[in-house]
Amino acid sequence: MTDPLLSVRDLAVEVSTRRGPARVVDGVSFHIGRGEALGVVGESGCGKSITTLALLGLLPPGARVAGGSARMEGKDLLTLSRRALREVRGGRIGMIFQDPMTSFNPVLKIGDQLIEPLIYHRGMLRREAWARAGELLRLVGIPGGASRLDNYPHELSGGMRQRVMIAMGLACEPPLLIADEPTTALDVTIQAQIVDLVKDLRARLGMSIIWITHDLALVSGLVDRVIVLYAGKIVEEAPVDDLYARPTHPYTQGLLASLPTLEGEETRRLPAIGGTPPDPGRRPAGCPFAPRCPLRVARCESEMPPLVAVAGGPHRAACWVNAKPQELAA
Amino acid sequence: MTMPVTLSAAVEPDEQVSLWRDAWHRLRANRLAVFGLCIVVILVFVAVAGPWISPYDFLSQDLEATNQGPSMAHWFGTDDLGRDVLSRVIYGARTALLVAVVVTGIALAIGVTLGAIAGYVGGRVDAVIMWVTDMVMSVPSLLLVVVINTSLKPPLSAFMDARYLATHNPIWRQTIWIDFVLVFGSMALILWPPYARLVRAQVLSIRNRNYVTAARALGLTPGLILRRYVVPNALGPVIVAVSAGLGTAMVLESAFSFLGVGVRPPTPSWGNMISDGLRVWRTYPHLLAAPAAVLGLATVAFSFLGDGLNDALNPRQWRK
Repeated sequence: MTDPLLSVRDLAVEVSTRRGPARVVDGVSFHIGRGEALGVVGESGCGKSITTLALLGLLPPGARVAGGSARMEGKDLLTLSRRALREVRGGRIGMIFQDPMTSFNPVLKIGDQLIEPLIYHRGMLRREAWARAGELLRLVGIPGGASRLDNYPHELSGGMRQRVMIAMGLACEPPLLIADEPTTALDVTIQAQIVDLVKDLRARLGMSIIWITHDLALVSGLVDRVIVLYAGKIVEEAPVDDLYARPTHPYTQGLLASLPTLEGEETRRLPAIGGTPPDPGRRPAGCPFAPRCPLRVARCESEMPPLVAVAGGPHRAACWVNAKPQELAA
Repeated sequence: MTMPVTLSAAVEPDEQVSLWRDAWHRLRANRLAVFGLCIVVILVFVAVAGPWISPYDFLSQDLEATNQGPSMAHWFGTDDLGRDVLSRVIYGARTALLVAVVVTGIALAIGVTLGAIAGYVGGRVDAVIMWVTDMVMSVPSLLLVVVINTSLKPPLSAFMDARYLATHNPIWRQTIWIDFVLVFGSMALILWPPYARLVRAQVLSIRNRNYVTAARALGLTPGLILRRYVVPNALGPVIVAVSAGLGTAMVLESAFSFLGVGVRPPTPSWGNMISDGLRVWRTYPHLLAAPAAVLGLATVAFSFLGDGLNDALNPRQWRK
């Protein structure tokens, strides 16, 4: 971990609302090494997607980066010029989106969409790019390979389209691939296929991966390390095995407890975490999870716990009760 | 209904075809639209084939047979100079269609470009473009064209004359081009704002679609995204507007010719003919009736076709 590929520090994103700016991402710091796969987990609206969109300068209108830095290959992504940012997009960071149904231009053949990053970033001629696009389709396991380039997006199934999208994200062999809930819109069996495909591609191409999901179980075999986001803050960060073995933050514990297991008694009701995440405009002063937390103590309501190492390892959590940061501070 | 569509999709890998075939089915089921389409096709045929199908030269005068009523020799009669009215109506169709197509084309090019830029870039650029659009729309169109024509035509003609006297190059004698350039230009100038607003509204909804974000995430330039991802997907409603717009442009051209600021005689234009016929309509009603009826028919046809296309291409109305 001496030379991380991407190192994000104190990233903050604000969304303007009628009641003034709301911080939807608040002081998020993480890093990702070369060839490492990082899982970002959390429920809807916790800031997972916004974090990665901010890295690529793709924030929707009304949202803006309010602070922090994101260093990759000697540059701060957050302060790049538009031109330099376009070089990063597709060229250095590939992106896979959630909904393969709507992420393709319906009036262009998939070949025409696949060759565009190649022509733009690699300066390839149309003919070369077309040939390369055919190879990419084979790489992502599309039956028929190059013959599918002449298809329009609607002629492919959702799983096939997601494969094409992965091919598009990997077209210029970027060192980092960001996958934003790439399997959410797919059938369970197809989800497993896509995960296997990405695992296989990672083994062959060696790129780093940020995999955003709300499905902890799905990524357990894919990623090395997991970040748990809650209400725009990192509440826990751990190697994936460690996280499963010793979830420390009550939110992570709740997430894991709510997963169905194969061995569990059949009649058991899956425990859910009560309540909903706080409105980004009106977050509590202390730990954002406090109102829903079963272990809440007085201090949780007034003061945000820092992210501290648990048991001395790379495992870190932000909780007054379970991570006991007060002992370190003293 | 679904069977033949799936079959055709299976045989023909290009689904674009079956989408249009679908729309074509809906269009054919609409009797008014079919009527409009027939008239438009006839009009286009007549305009294109004009020189071969018109019975007489539109300029040849027969001063021994002036103001004749309809007959076998002259189906629509003859005018005050003994010119065949049918031939003049046919050549008038050429003028009308030429004006309609060229003017709509220019207006479309301006409107789509400005509307797409306004909608995609947004912010101050959007405000300025929309401000100009509203300004142009707020000026009475007839007045604007009259002002342009009367203020630009004389100095331009004088300039051309001076160039001819200085160079004796016959290019400068072709004053008929001034007419066309000015008429086309001024009409396009007043007809582009609706296209700009339509395209802008489309682009506003399309710019936040996932495939546009995906294209941006690939690092494509805004110009490329606009041309390849946004505009092609915004054109559906524009097709409908164009169909209706062609009719509007025809009527506008006739109106300007009627007022004497459009195409100059002796170039035959329905508006000119109506204007001439109006002076003698009590005695020779056919001189008014022929061009007026044809103009009316053409306008109604384009309007019906536009409505039909709207129903056939607009998915929100399919469920009605």
